[in-house]
Amino acid sequence: MKTKQESTPIFPSDPRKTYGLMELVKGTSPMVDKGPEETVMSWPNLLILEVLAGLGTTVILLFWSLAIHAPLRDLANPDVTENPAKAPWYFMNLQEMLLHMHPALAGVIVPVIVIIALMVIPYVDRNEDDVGVWFASKKGRTIALWSAVYTTVWIPGLILFDELIRVRSLVPGPEIYPGWVIPLAVIAGLMALLYVMIRRWRPSRRETFVGLFTAFAVSYLLLTISGTFFRGHGMHLVWPWDLPPGALPF
Amino acid sequence: MNRRKSLADRIVQNRVWKSVFRQGYPNTAENQSKVVVNSWFLHIHPVKVRRHTLKITYTFGLGVISFFLFVVLVVTGAWLMLFHVPSVERAYGSIQGLETDVPFGILMRSMHRWAAHLMVLTVFLHLCRVFFTGGYKRPREFNWVIGVVLWVTTLLLSYTGYLLPWDQLSYWAVTVGTNMVGSFPGIGEIMRMALLGAKEVGQPTLTRFYALHIAILPLVMTILIGVHFWRIRKDGGLSAPGEKSSGERTEGS
Ligand code: HEM
Repeated sequence: MKTKQESTPIFPSDPRKTYGLMELVKGTSPMVDKGPEETVMSWPNLLILEVLAGLGTTVILLFWSLAIHAPLRDLANPDVTENPAKAPWYFMNLQEMLLHMHPALAGVIVPVIVIIALMVIPYVDRNEDDVGVWFASKKGRTIALWSAVYTTVWIPGLILFDELIRVRSLVPGPEIYPGWVIPLAVIAGLMALLYVMIRRWRPSRRETFVGLFTAFAVSYLLLTISGTFFRGHGMHLVWPWDLPPGALPF
Repeated sequence: MNRRKSLADRIVQNRVWKSVFRQGYPNTAENQSKVVVNSWFLHIHPVKVRRHTLKITYTFGLGVISFFLFVVLVVTGAWLMLFHVPSVERAYGSIQGLETDVPFGILMRSMHRWAAHLMVLTVFLHLCRVFFTGGYKRPREFNWVIGVVLWVTTLLLSYTGYLLPWDQLSYWAVTVGTNMVGSFPGIGEIMRMALLGAKEVGQPTLTRFYALHIAILPLVMTILIGVHFWRIRKDGGLSAPGEKSSGERTEGS
């Protein structure tokens, strides 16, 4: 008889072993209640997957880098403005927003609000029942899908409206209106409308968040695509195949 | 009883090998535990993980892939540092020289560049996966907050590196970005000056972005990733369905 185990009553005892009580400890350890039957050894089960992920990433990266070289344009020249002058693609969502509102709103205020909003999610959605379930529930999935469709209709619609009709030609000034009031009202209004529509499903807090986060993620994606692939000279809308040379920021 | 030892046995059973890897080959449960616990590189792993953690459709391996891309970036970046000169007169030429005169120069630079782009993507996808699976819930709230900071750090690392080749793409990208900050009412101009170190993008900007890119931000990132992984262990591994219902019973026991 060789094994003496610290044991808790949740594990079935094995008649071939003896058990002794070693110590009483208050509180829970990270693995409490995770019975041995639902676990496997990290070596090799987890490590093999990690190695495969690493190898796959390396191989893809290697072939990608052999096929396409990193860009190097002309030497920086403050006197020759690039047209269009674009930020890296992952900031093109902000640069796209910049076309429709005051730069401080697009470049600082909205991103800061998004970052703070993301950080507080876990402290507002405190229900732990639905941990580990993709989209929380079937209802959550429906809401996510619906929110994605809603956003995919609105964002390109607003971009086209501002390009073809132009908010600034309807409301030329003072700057506070086209720069701040109208964009903020549109964003707040669309979020409120989305919220009201999500409410129809009588969602939990998490399901509501799933709807709002989906709207954020889809807007982020669509604004990035629009700014990166659909903006040519003077940041006007063009088809990707009509982009002027050098308009893609990579 | 085997009289003849195989070559593999000779290697893994001699004293030099055992001084490095204290346990034998990990083909028994005991050695499989020891191989994880005894290794500085592996000890961040638990000896056992839940089956659910290994489900590809739960994590898509996005955290591990992001981490791996960061490692590739550190390695290729250290190599690029041997050639890049952070001066507005010489930066561009040093990159050109790297591409024409250094063996595998283009390949290493391309790998650094594309790994950076890819990491921005995988980190964001990882954020989405954690959100949509509810992986941020108690006790993982704070690891989610650390994650958000990791996301921002990833973006800043990518952006500061963008300036270093000192070509038209770099120059105008940074001009556009910092102008947005500069337009902030009141304090915008001060924030812009703090970023640029001058009125326009120039040598002080390159110096600042260089320091941020090769020292400050990588250090921040390394520490945060360390804390992030530590927290995953302390929070009881990855989230899984039905975690709470069983967790509550023992509370206060
Ligand atoms: C440099 C960036 C990052 C790295 C290297 C990283 C790495 C990892 C790894 C390896 C895991 C294990 C599970 C998995 O692979 O999904 C994980 C889990 C986790 N990550 Fe990250 N991560 C990063 C950024 C983020 C971000 C941006 C967030 C969210 C805002 C985040 C929040 C979390 C949380 C909450 C967990 C636990 C999830 C669970 O238990 O289901 N991480 N991370």
